[in-house]
Amino acid sequence: MANPMSIIGKNAVAIACDLRLGLQALTVSNDFPKIFQYGPDVFLGLTGLATDVQTVSDLFRYKVNLYRLREERDISPQTMANLVSTSLYEKRFGPFFVNPVVAGINRTTGEPFICGFDSIGCIDFAKDFIVSGTSADQLFGTCEALWQPDLEAEDLFETISQALLSAVDRDALAGWGAHVYIVEKDKVTKRLLKGRQD
Amino acid sequence: MRGATILKATDNKTRDLNSHTLMAFSGEAGDTIQFSDYIEANVKLYSMRNSTELGPSAVASFVRAELARSLRSRNPYNVNLLLGGVDPISQKPHLYWLDYLASLAPVPYAAHGYAQYYCLSILDKHHHPDIDLEKGMQLLQMCADELKRRMPIDFKGAIARESRGQEWHTFSGSRQ
Amino acid sequence: MSRRYDSRTTIFSPEGRLYQVEYALEAISQAGTAIGILASDGIVLAAERKVTSKLLEQDTSAEKLYILNDNMICAVAGMTADANILINYARQAAQRYLLSYNEDIPCEQLVRRLCDLKQGYTQHGGLRPFGVSFIYAGFDPQRQFQLYQSNPSGNYGGWKATSVGANNASAQSLLKQDYKEDCSLREACGLAVKVLSKTMDSTKLSSEKIEFATVGRTKDGKVYHHLWAAEEIDVLLKEHGLAKPDDSAETG
Repeated sequence: MANPMSIIGKNAVAIACDLRLGLQALTVSNDFPKIFQYGPDVFLGLTGLATDVQTVSDLFRYKVNLYRLREERDISPQTMANLVSTSLYEKRFGPFFVNPVVAGINRTTGEPFICGFDSIGCIDFAKDFIVSGTSADQLFGTCEALWQPDLEAEDLFETISQALLSAVDRDALAGWGAHVYIVEKDKVTKRLLKGRQD
Repeated sequence: MRGATILKATDNKTRDLNSHTLMAFSGEAGDTIQFSDYIEANVKLYSMRNSTELGPSAVASFVRAELARSLRSRNPYNVNLLLGGVDPISQKPHLYWLDYLASLAPVPYAAHGYAQYYCLSILDKHHHPDIDLEKGMQLLQMCADELKRRMPIDFKGAIARESRGQEWHTFSGSRQ
Repeated sequence: MSRRYDSRTTIFSPEGRLYQVEYALEAISQAGTAIGILASDGIVLAAERKVTSKLLEQDTSAEKLYILNDNMICAVAGMTADANILINYARQAAQRYLLSYNEDIPCEQLVRRLCDLKQGYTQHGGLRPFGVSFIYAGFDPQRQFQLYQSNPSGNYGGWKATSVGANNASAQSLLKQDYKEDCSLREACGLAVKVLSKTMDSTKLSSEKIEFATVGRTKDGKVYHHLWAAEEIDVLLKEHGLAKPDDSAETG
């Protein structure tokens, strides 16, 4: 089911996902976002088994809310990455079938941050882009072709959108529009891409 | 009339969970009754304990949480559900699709099992976000007719329940 | 007479009293005052901070006001260490509810969860009760803005304006006198500082000595809670002519 991806730019990150929820070839819903927000500038994209996407996103809402109340501050993307990693590894021998992607900006350093995980929490740090989901193979291709270093926010939006839509058009199990978040320091822009509705 | 593929022609697979939330279920024979009994009891217990009723979205989330817990247990329930209701505070109608893996999706129309392949195409074509109850019933009649025409096993008709008011509607199949 | 009964929480005295619970209430009546006022468009909580010293780190977290979850805050009077246990319990209960029902826990349910725990310590042997009273301020879609108070016995009730801690009797009568039905949040804040200024020992207040928090709704209907910064409190005090004239006069 579907795919979030995340790319890094100059003092900004972008994270995007399509909106399809399906059972193999049957589309059940075309408005099923897979990007979740856990702070003013921390985002988590989840792909894999739909039920685990929901269970895992709810679980992190629980953990991050308690973290925020206890620490009296918002979670940083780096801390979020380690929380995701350890939480997934807790289920090492009966894992959640998800492939998360974390994207955000660190409040104290102002640095953009992205990383991806396998289903048992091995972190894949990246300086360029992270892809996940059914169209991961296609997304690797489009990102390799379109991404370049130090993209400004607007170019970042154009790049991630084109990369996602092009990849999704070559995957029958993904699509039906997309959500794109552009995260800059103290500013988050959310956009809805219509895409091909077929 | 009974036979190899039919044990009962009048089995009601719907439940009232509270005064404004309804549930329809399908799946493995024992599990469906067992699980919906459990859900019904717990939703009613909540009403008694807290002298207030859970709204449709809270019921849906609760059912999902229970089914998700069951999924990772030694013998999970094999039940597919549709949950519908009118929120008592906002007065807005809600419909949720929930499968045996505990994937929950808010949807404008839904079906489970074989019926999905026949009904969803009809609903895709004829459903609009602002249709009223009467038009909704007409769409259900169209779906029932389609199932009677095309289902490989004998379609015995359907019943529908309104989430406000006590009315029962029946859609004929080969039963009548 | 009481000696035979007051060492245990679980046993009634012949007069039908639970001494340990009463001692806990006594401990709370020494603590800094906290008051809560329900307004038509929100709730204000205000509390007196007892420990002030120029050696104390000022920018650390609030001492008497805590956030329970997205729609609820509380004020504490009594032993802070005990309160921390209860607050942690309440936060977890609220998040557990959110996990299973995907919506915030209704205010009264959260208050009841805490009070069930408090009640347990008045009955099960060998343990002392929690030495804390709370004032809770919250919002839920069913019952809108709500104000509750609870004490070590595990009793709770809903209020329009209430107080706990030192001088709570005089604070309560001041509130009774001056509380207006359907007052605005602004007016409630004014009443809160007025009552605090009369019940606290020092005549002039300062932001070091009190804590302030409000629950309200933004223009687009979203519930917010806000723990006030020192500057905001000073502005409010100045507005009502209750601010200390010179900051350096008192060293605490």
